[in-house]
Amino acid sequence: MTVARVSPEPSGQIAQARVVASVVDLKIHFESKAGRVHAVDGVDFDIRDGETLGLVGETGCGKTVTARSFLRLVPMPPGIHAGGAVFFRPHQRCANCAGEGCVECGDTGRLPIECPQCLGGGCHACDDTGSETIDLSTLPDRALRDIRGDRIAMIFQDPAKALNPALTVRAQIAEVFYQHRTTELLERAGLGSRPNPLLRRHITQRARTIERGLLALPPLRSRRDRIERVVDDLVAAALAETQIPNPLKVMARYPHELSGGMKQRVMIAQALACNPDLLIADEPTTALDVTVQARIMELIKDLQSRHKSAVLYISHDLSLVRRICDRVAVMYAGRIVEIGRTEEIFADPLHPYTRGLLAAIPSRSHDRGRLVAIRGTVPELIDPPPSCRFVARCDYAVEVCGTIDPELTSGPDQHGVACFIHHPPDRAGEVPSFSRRTS
Amino acid sequence: MTAAAQQTGVARADLRGEIAISVRDLYKHFPIREGALQRVAGHVRAVDGVSFDVRRGETVGLVGESGCGKTTLGRCVSGLTDPTMGGVYFDLTTAENERIDAILAVPENGRTPEMTADLEDIDRLHRIDRLKNKEWLRYRRNCQVVFQDAFASLNPRQLVREIVGRPLKVHNEASGNELTERVVELLERVGMSRQHLYRYPHQFSGGQRQRLSIARAMALDPELIVLDEPTSALDVSVQAQILNLLNELQQDLDLTYLFITHDLSVIRHMADRVVVMYLGKVSEAGSTEDIFDDARHPYTHALLRASPDVDDDPDAALVTLEGSVPDPARPPQGCRFHTRCPVATETCGWEVDDVVRWLEDEQGMFETLTDVAREDAFTADLVFSDESSAERLATALRSESVPSAAREALIEMKTETTRVHVAFKPVPEIELTRRGPGHVAACVHDQMPALD
Repeated sequence: MTVARVSPEPSGQIAQARVVASVVDLKIHFESKAGRVHAVDGVDFDIRDGETLGLVGETGCGKTVTARSFLRLVPMPPGIHAGGAVFFRPHQRCANCAGEGCVECGDTGRLPIECPQCLGGGCHACDDTGSETIDLSTLPDRALRDIRGDRIAMIFQDPAKALNPALTVRAQIAEVFYQHRTTELLERAGLGSRPNPLLRRHITQRARTIERGLLALPPLRSRRDRIERVVDDLVAAALAETQIPNPLKVMARYPHELSGGMKQRVMIAQALACNPDLLIADEPTTALDVTVQARIMELIKDLQSRHKSAVLYISHDLSLVRRICDRVAVMYAGRIVEIGRTEEIFADPLHPYTRGLLAAIPSRSHDRGRLVAIRGTVPELIDPPPSCRFVARCDYAVEVCGTIDPELTSGPDQHGVACFIHHPPDRAGEVPSFSRRTS
Repeated sequence: MTAAAQQTGVARADLRGEIAISVRDLYKHFPIREGALQRVAGHVRAVDGVSFDVRRGETVGLVGESGCGKTTLGRCVSGLTDPTMGGVYFDLTTAENERIDAILAVPENGRTPEMTADLEDIDRLHRIDRLKNKEWLRYRRNCQVVFQDAFASLNPRQLVREIVGRPLKVHNEASGNELTERVVELLERVGMSRQHLYRYPHQFSGGQRQRLSIARAMALDPELIVLDEPTSALDVSVQAQILNLLNELQQDLDLTYLFITHDLSVIRHMADRVVVMYLGKVSEAGSTEDIFDDARHPYTHALLRASPDVDDDPDAALVTLEGSVPDPARPPQGCRFHTRCPVATETCGWEVDDVVRWLEDEQGMFETLTDVAREDAFTADLVFSDESSAERLATALRSESVPSAAREALIEMKTETTRVHVAFKPVPEIELTRRGPGHVAACVHDQMPALD
């Protein structure tokens, strides 16, 4: 399959940064009674180390499905992986500074892992980068579990639903450490690398009831408690990082005892506990009030600049994306229609849909009743015809838009857009233009 | 549109600017019940003394964070719930309105029998929770509601014709073919058509469902529509369609809107006047320009500075608010916002609860607190289980770890082994004061001090 790959080269430091994850021609479909729903239909983008990429679009445009396919959280069936892949280059803890941050790892505490096939020389499997590249869409479940919550973490939209109501805050955050930091916990508790098998089962949360009983008895109890104290410290530190006042008190609480903003902080603490390479934030502030939203946004921004993780920020709110993201990808009906640096997208939107979205936000420059709404509704995604998906709502559409599917092509400044206004098709006919309204 | 509706439309245009709804000292408290006997343990003060007017033909925006009581207020105005105290008056003449204000200004035990009789007369005819039969029906016709969640507010088992035609049926306006025609007329008003008549709500998108809700609200040609977050569940492009539709309807039919939302950009776009609520009280009210360009309450300021606008400089830092909204069952004394206010002074109502809140956020302190013996809201003895905690509190209250305004308001503090006696300056509730024509704010500052 030949795919027009768009990998814009943003200016500044991020341009040199390595690509931490790339989505290549990803297609996720859903089987329904009416036919095959093409929820994500050929999405391409790269995320670089330390950058924040915004994914914006309306309800049902496939942005959440794209994000969830990173961790294979889309249920299959009814979902179908119809093509493409998600590549990911994991990091490991910097051995030099034990994750504290040093010159060698650039204060991130993380270093790339060498490609096992070419040992850093660069080969086909790692796309000549020399670092290990994993295809998340074919990875075995067991290996994927090691990545979920450790190398790639996710913040969900509604913290009230994403946190387990039956567990305390401590138990939920501790799980991350038990699952992904087993050896580190043993080290910190001073138990060495080969502890009692019961303690090992305890630390990986596999101890059965009777084993838990044994662990509560004298010879093992003190060692178990030592582990628990280490976990307590780690959890408290993770919570303190998100500026939660009095973390020790919050740890003992259940999610329903906390306010919405506090719950979202707990989620963030949980997501950042293992210093992930990639953080996926799926509308993290939609369920919150404006005042709380502002604080959570500042917090994510601040934590990102300290940990230098890459962030995939999904939102439908353009004014938020503008503040927090380095690059923005605009999705419409399962496709990316425009991608580029934030300033460029907002200063000079190329796609008619992006222009429509920006004009529809009520701002102080609009007169009352004069909002420029995009007419019509989002098209059905069941077996879409080969045409521009936006053709029925576009003010500039001509015949060619309804017969050929425009590809996402990048312009001179690496600002990609899928529209014939900027990249007229080879088979010349009437070409659409912003200077001529057709409807 | 029917001839009758057109006639009222003409009459309505003449009435523009008259008061349609007067909300006077409205209280709505919900009991908190606990224990096996469901004993009332306290009250959530959802709406706690709110007064404002809605004039005919204007849009009044009601903004605030979640839990500030804006939806409850909307439900009181639309008659969906009865207020605990105070009332919503409908269709008062200017003279009656002045009379009622004069009577309500006098405390209840100081009113003359004549005043009480007058109030009773007005209440019986205009206070919506006192209306009976015909008058009540008339109010229900004239005040309709559009709810936030168009998924939940349309009956999934009814067809569009039944949903939108229901009000017409209830009020015996139309039936049979006439009903169908009236429904088609309404659907066309909101940008839908005859083809949608025999469908179920699940067959529509969110935007179309909200259009159906609006069509249903329009069915009886009401004067006032309470819009409770009508667009917060919609995408921005669809929101623009709905907002344009609401504006068009208002201009054609001289409607009055009470627009409840938490989205300030929508409010700025839609409202003529804005009422800002915080913890059940009005913190500021005024024309849209007053609120957005000359806000006099720090809370309004905080809201404005926290909500990003696409036209703003994206690099300008958002000013964020510290802390969270206090418990509405125990609202703070003085100004309710003082716990989070960046410019609070000693006269803002610092109290014992502020100390307790501080203890909650301090590691290892709240656990050692065994008792709070209150004399009143401003004076109390805090009892700890050990002396060191008491000592720690006493030093903290003198140090930078509490706001300097709180330290100034602290008039007395004594430490006796494990007891700490604290007394703050008693402060009355901060009332709304006039800041300009039609612009009121409840803040001790005359001018908003500069924030940094």
